[in-house]
This record gives sequence, structure tokens and C-alpha cells, in this order.
Amino acid sequence: MIVLGRSIRLEQRMVVPRSAVVIVPMLSVFFALAVGGVFLAATGHPPLGTYLDLIKNGYTSFYGITDTLGLATPLICTGLAAAFAFRMNLYSIGQEGQLYLGMIGGAWAGIALADSLPAFLAVPLVLVFGAVAGAAWVAVPAVLRARLGTSEIVSTLLLNYVALNLVNYFIFGSRGFFRDPTTSFPQGRPVAESARLSPFSFFTDKVTNTYPTLLVALVLAAFLFWFMRTSNYGYETAVYADSPNTARYAGMNSMRLQSSVLLISGALAGVGGAMYVVGPAGKVDPGLLQIGLGYAGIVVAALARYNFLAVIVAAILFAGLRTGGNALQVSNDPVPIAIAVVLQGAVLLFALGGELFRRNRVVISRVGQVVPT
Amino acid sequence: MNSNIWLLTFADAISIATTLILASLGAMITERSGVINLGVEGMLLMGAVSGFVVAESTGNLWLALIAGIFVGVALSAVHAGLTVGLRANQIVSGLAMVIFGSGLAQFIGKPYEGNMRPVVIERVDLGWLTDLPLVGPVIFGHDIFTYATWAIAAGASFYLHRTRPGLILRATGDAPATVDAQGGSVARIRWAHTIAGGALMGFAGAWFMFARATAWNANATTNGIGWIALALVVFASWRPLRAIGGAVLFGFSLQVPFTLQAEQITLLPQTIVAMFPYLVTLLVLVLLSTPRARRLLGAPKMLGQPFVRDER
Repeated sequence: MIVLGRSIRLEQRMVVPRSAVVIVPMLSVFFALAVGGVFLAATGHPPLGTYLDLIKNGYTSFYGITDTLGLATPLICTGLAAAFAFRMNLYSIGQEGQLYLGMIGGAWAGIALADSLPAFLAVPLVLVFGAVAGAAWVAVPAVLRARLGTSEIVSTLLLNYVALNLVNYFIFGSRGFFRDPTTSFPQGRPVAESARLSPFSFFTDKVTNTYPTLLVALVLAAFLFWFMRTSNYGYETAVYADSPNTARYAGMNSMRLQSSVLLISGALAGVGGAMYVVGPAGKVDPGLLQIGLGYAGIVVAALARYNFLAVIVAAILFAGLRTGGNALQVSNDPVPIAIAVVLQGAVLLFALGGELFRRNRVVISRVGQVVPT
Repeated sequence: MNSNIWLLTFADAISIATTLILASLGAMITERSGVINLGVEGMLLMGAVSGFVVAESTGNLWLALIAGIFVGVALSAVHAGLTVGLRANQIVSGLAMVIFGSGLAQFIGKPYEGNMRPVVIERVDLGWLTDLPLVGPVIFGHDIFTYATWAIAAGASFYLHRTRPGLILRATGDAPATVDAQGGSVARIRWAHTIAGGALMGFAGAWFMFARATAWNANATTNGIGWIALALVVFASWRPLRAIGGAVLFGFSLQVPFTLQAEQITLLPQTIVAMFPYLVTLLVLVLLSTPRARRLLGAPKMLGQPFVRDER
């Protein structure tokens, strides 16, 4: 491209400088805030004041931080789920549905099995059942992808709508196992007390919305980071992601790799749903359908560039947007919570654009001048 | 239950198919150039909400439809800029479009949530044709845009298979390096068709708002129709005319839950019946991916691959 007598072109970087790894995501967030600001201003909300409120409510006050960490807990799981699949070029976007199924599976174990168990067994049991349910929900797309090559993108997405209706069926459409039998009000049947965790509380009476499951999510992220770097399995998926043909020539079983990655991804999202059960909800709660943690997980994973540790940071950032946005919604000058989703989408768009500048550097030279390569 | 209601369901299926045809035509010509745009759902919602807002303030249907087209163009230009200009991952960019588009639609539409549509697309009366038994209501009882959509599909088919630019378009999706070697601009062709596709998607959303949806509801207005349109592209094997038949099939599956509800047929709970269109679409996708069916499909060979001249 030639502008003002200078030729501008892109040159692939040999070594990605460390600074680019940090600066590109930061700039993405900055530009996304600018775009969001345009829409805020257009609808009559002062952008700067709104953002300051959002930051104050989401990241700085005691309850802001603890609410954010509580919301980040399942979001880390869906972010890990998306990152796990996307880094192998498997674009499963079914985290939303798997999250619901994790909630259903976890609640089932919490109601049916946890009654006679002590808490140190009951809580892990709920989480495991959530993982199994999440994995089961992606089993059909996984097998189709591995066996027939059916695009996992649309198939996993379609199942989100099915899962959504399934939750609605259990709570609003029927009076079955998951519905609270003690009231005519449509709500979930509570799980056994032993299957619930109490939230962190500080200084005796300051009860937060952060649950110990946050630690589980952090450990999961750290474990995946370590495991996928050091294990044979991690190596094989990395080779497959780079070049499926190389992986095949090297004798790796592509069917098993594809289906296992999708199943593990589903299990991770499912754990997130089960954490919602042992933590704040304690039952199958249709409130989860309103938050969009599964779709947000994809944004988190992309912003983290599918790095499991960076997922933690990105998840906390986005959870803060949401808690901050929630607070804005009830303020004197209510701003629709959808602004949080707009910002998520914009961050993802800018992060994608920024990727080019991470991989390439911009070379500007006079036209006609020979650039040494 | 009478046979009449199923006739009306079929007529509704053909009507609802209009959105599916327009959206999948948009996706189809985008994909034919080698760019995959998964953002259909976001574009539909944005087309619907911007049409709604314009109609609320002007009361003019045409301006509202143009607004829908304009927004589709704007969003798809962002997608083209990212994927063709900056060579970003097309799939993630498309997902970003869905998240950004549906978030923005919710944000913009918040003050209008639950409002009835201010203008309506009326069905045309074709005189004695509409009064015919059976075929009258099913074929001749629609609005002009439904008929225009069939014409657009036919036009797209002619363009793809019978014109020189269409040939170059197909070549761009299958072998961009060849087009480049022949002196064509791969980037320009991809830009043009991504934007044209976006225009169709935006229009599809706006049409749906004024012809099918009665009120604006960010969570229920399109309700996954964009994803079904993407499945329809595969079902139609990237051929515009086949999209019409497929759209009626998917349109039928979308309409059946409403018919059952209206007729108070409660064989299954409403929430279970609501899964029906998505399960039908999934089943169709599965059937299409059997090795036998795959041979007949013919997806653009370089779909989703950015084109960089120096690397070839």
C-alpha cells in the first residue's frame, strides 16, 4: 500500500517481542472501550462517567471485587473449555449448553446421591457429575466431527438451544425431579446441604459472593497449563493443531485426539455449571440462562490467546465488566447491561485485528528504496 | 385439528423461509468467495433492531428496510476488514460478530423491548390466484418480498453459474491463487461479496422484524434462525436455488411448534417441542456428512483460508 509517497507493508516477525504480547490485548480493551463509549454517548450516557462507575463497581470496592471473583469462577471454566478446543482448531461453541448440562448433572448428583455423604465427598461428586454431563452433551458433535467430519461449529451451537429448552422444561415445563415439590412457584429442588459450599467471609460478618470453587478453577487452569506443556497428550494436540497431516504421518490417532479434546472441553464447561450448583445456586436455576457465561468464555479464551493462565486474568476482567454493568443497571441513570456484551464483542474484534500486528511488523519506507530483508 | 391448519402451517413455512433464503444466500455468496461469515445471527438481530428503531421514528417501512441493509453492510465490512484485510481467523471473527451484534442489538433495543412493530409488511392480494384452493394461500398469499426473494435466488444462481464474474467468484473460493495469477484481485472480490452477503443478511433481519415478528424482543426475535441459515448453506450445497427447497423444510420445522401451541396439541410439553427446529437441523447436518452425501456437496475448496500472495 502506498500512502503519501511512502510504501507501507507488513513483514512477518521472526521473534514476537514480549511487549507485543501484553500491549496488543491492552490496546484491544482500550479501543473496545472507545467504541462502547460512542454508543454510550449516542444513547445519552456520559461515557467517561459510566466507565468510572463501571470500574468502581466492578473492580475496586470490596463487594465489587468479591462479586467479580465469584462470577469469574464459572467463567474461568468456560474460558478454559473454549481455549482447550480452539487451540486445536476445534471451534466448539457449545460451552453455553454444556454449562447448563453441568448444572443439571451436578444438581442431579446433589439431590440424589449427596444426602448421605459428608461434604468432602459430596462436593467433588457434584463437580464430577457436572463434568460428565457437560462431556456427554458434546459427545454427539464430538463423534460426528471425529468420524464424519461434521462441522462442530453449527452442531455444538444448535445444542445450546436444545439445552436452554431442557432447563426450561425441568423448571417451567414439568413437575419432575428437578422441580421443587414443596412450592407451586417454579424453582429448582435444592440439593443436599452437604453438597453446598459456604462463601468466603471476612471479618466475621462480611459474607461475600466468592466461593471456594474459585480455588478449584485456578488449580484447573494451572494444571492444564502444566499438563499441556509437559505431557505427551499436550504435545500431540499441539502437533495436530499446527499440521493435521504431520500428526497423521507421525502415527497419531486423529479421531481420538479430536473427540477427546472436544469431550474434555465439554467437561470443563460442565464443571463450571456444577460450580454454580455447589456455590450460589444450590439447585437447577434458570437464572444461569440469562448471564451468557458460555459465550463470554469464547471471548475470554480468544483474548487470552488460548493460554490457560491468561484465561484467569481475562475471565476476571470480563466478570468485572458484568458486575460493574449490573450495578450500572440499577443506578440513577440506568445503562442496559448489554453494554457489557457490546464491550466483550468489541474487545474480541480488536484483539483479532491486533493479532496481525503481533505477528507482523509495519515497515514504512520511501517508494523505490530497497528494503534489506 | 383439521387439515386446514397444516395447510396454513405450510404457508407460514414458505413465508418464514424468506428470511432463511435471504440469510443463507448472503452466507452462500460470501462463502463462495472463500470467506466464511458465522456472524449471521448477529447481523439478523442488528438488521431487525435498526429497522425497528428507524420505523419507530419515521414510520416508513422502506427507510426501515434500508436501515437494515445498511447495518448489514457495515457489520460485514468490519468482518471483511478483519478477515480479508488483516487476515484474522474467520471463524473467531464471525463469532465476535455474533456476540457484538447481539449485544449491540440488545443495547440499542432496550428502550423498545416488548414494543409492537410500528409498521407491518402486508401480504399482497393476487386476486383470483390467492382465492384458489390449496395453492392460493400456500403459494399466492405472501408479501412482495417473498416473491422478490425467489427472484433474488434465481438471479444469484444465474450470476454464479452463467456469468463471467460468477465464474471468477467461484474460482476465488476454490483456487484464489489462480485468480490472482490471472490478474484478478482476490481481496477486492472477497470484500465485494462479503459486503453483498451482509446486505442480504441485514435485509433478512429487517424483513423478519416487520413480516414475522410482532414485537421486538432481543432474546426471542431471531432465536437462532441465523445458525439454521448457516446449516441451510450446507444443505443447499452452496447452490442458491436449492436453498429455496431447504428453507421451506427448515421453515416448516420452525413453524410446527407454533402450530402445535396454537392448536393446543399437547402431546409434548411446549419446552420440548421448542427444541424441534434445532434437532431437525442437527439431524440434517448429520445426514449430510455421511461420506456418500459429502461427495455431492462441493464446498468451496479454500473456504476459510486467508489469501496471501507472497506465501504462495
